[in-house]
Amino acid sequence: MPEQLYLTRFLNAHFAGPVDALLRAFHQAPVYPEAPISNAVAMELLTVVVLLAYFLVVRMTLSVEKPGAFQQVAEMTHEFVSEQADSIISHGFQRFVPYLTVLFLFILLANLLGLVPGLESPTANPVVPLGLAIVTFVYYHLHGIRSNKAAYVKQFLGPVWWLAPLMFLIEVVSHCARVLSLTVRLYANMFAGDLVTLAFFSLIPVGIPLIFMGLHLMVAAIQAYVFMLLATIYLALAVSHEH
Amino acid sequence: MIRTAKYFFMAMAALLLAAPVYAQDAAAASSKGALYLAAGLGMALAAGLCGIGQGKATASAAEALARNPGARPGIFTFLILGLAFIESLALFTFVIIFIKVQ
Repeated sequence: MPEQLYLTRFLNAHFAGPVDALLRAFHQAPVYPEAPISNAVAMELLTVVVLLAYFLVVRMTLSVEKPGAFQQVAEMTHEFVSEQADSIISHGFQRFVPYLTVLFLFILLANLLGLVPGLESPTANPVVPLGLAIVTFVYYHLHGIRSNKAAYVKQFLGPVWWLAPLMFLIEVVSHCARVLSLTVRLYANMFAGDLVTLAFFSLIPVGIPLIFMGLHLMVAAIQAYVFMLLATIYLALAVSHEH
Repeated sequence: MIRTAKYFFMAMAALLLAAPVYAQDAAAASSKGALYLAAGLGMALAAGLCGIGQGKATASAAEALARNPGARPGIFTFLILGLAFIESLALFTFVIIFIKVQ
C-alpha cells in the first residue's frame, strides 16, 4: 500500500469500488485494489473542485456597479492572459484565452497546493504535467489544422523542397520534444523544490526551510506562467499564416 | 625532471584506461559508489553551467532595461522564457540522475 494523504484515504474509503470497476472496464488492473486513487489524482480533484467553486462564486457575484474581491481577481487574471496572448498571437487571440487562463490557473493552484501542510503538489508527479503537455500538444495541432487547413503540413517541410524529407523528421522530433520539455520542466521544478525544502529540513529543522518554501512559492508562480507562455507561443506558431 | 613527470602521467593515464579491466571483479560492489560520484559531479556541472548561462541572460536583460526602461514588458517575457529554457537543461540532468540513483 502506498502512503496516502488524508484526502486520498477518504476518497479511497468511499469510491474504491466504482473506480476499480471503471479501471477494469478499460482493462487496467489496479495495483492496489483497495486504494486505486493515487495522491496525485486526489490532489487534482481537489484543484478542480476549488477552481469550480471559484468560477461559480465569480459568476454568481458578477456585478457591474460594485465588483467583489473575487471578480477583481478574475478580471486581473483575464486581463493578464489576454494581454500576453494579444502580444504573442495578435490576430484572433480571443479564441484561445479561455484555454490559456484555465491552464494557468490550474497549474498555479496545483503548484501552490504543495505549500499547504497535509497536501502535496499533483504536479510533483510526472503523470500530471505529462497530461497537461499532451492536451496542449493536441490543442495547438488541432488549431493549426483548423486555421491553416492542408497548408499546415507546409510548416513541417521547411523552406526548400529538396530538404523536405529531412526537415519533416526534424520537425516531428522537435514537436515531440516540446511535450517532453514541458513535462520535465514543470515536474522537475516542483519535485526539486519539495526535495530542497526537505533536505534543508533534515539539516536544520527550524527557520531555514522557510526560506526555501518562499523560494518554492516564487518558482510555483513562475512555472505556471512559463507553461502558459510556452503554450501561447506554440499556439501562435501553429496558427500563423505563412506568406 | 619534466620528462620523468610526463612519463609518469602517461603511465597513470594508461592505468586509468585499464581501470575497467580491474573493475570487472568488483563491478557489483563499486558500481553504486561510482554512480553517486557521477551523480554529484554531473549535477554540480549542470548547476554551475546553468548558473553561468542564467547570469549572462540576466545581466544582458538588466543592461537592456537600464538603456531602455520603456521596453520592460517585452524584455521581461523574453527573460523569463530564456531562463526557463536554460534551467530546463539542468532539470533534465536532475531527472536523469534521479532515475539512475533510485
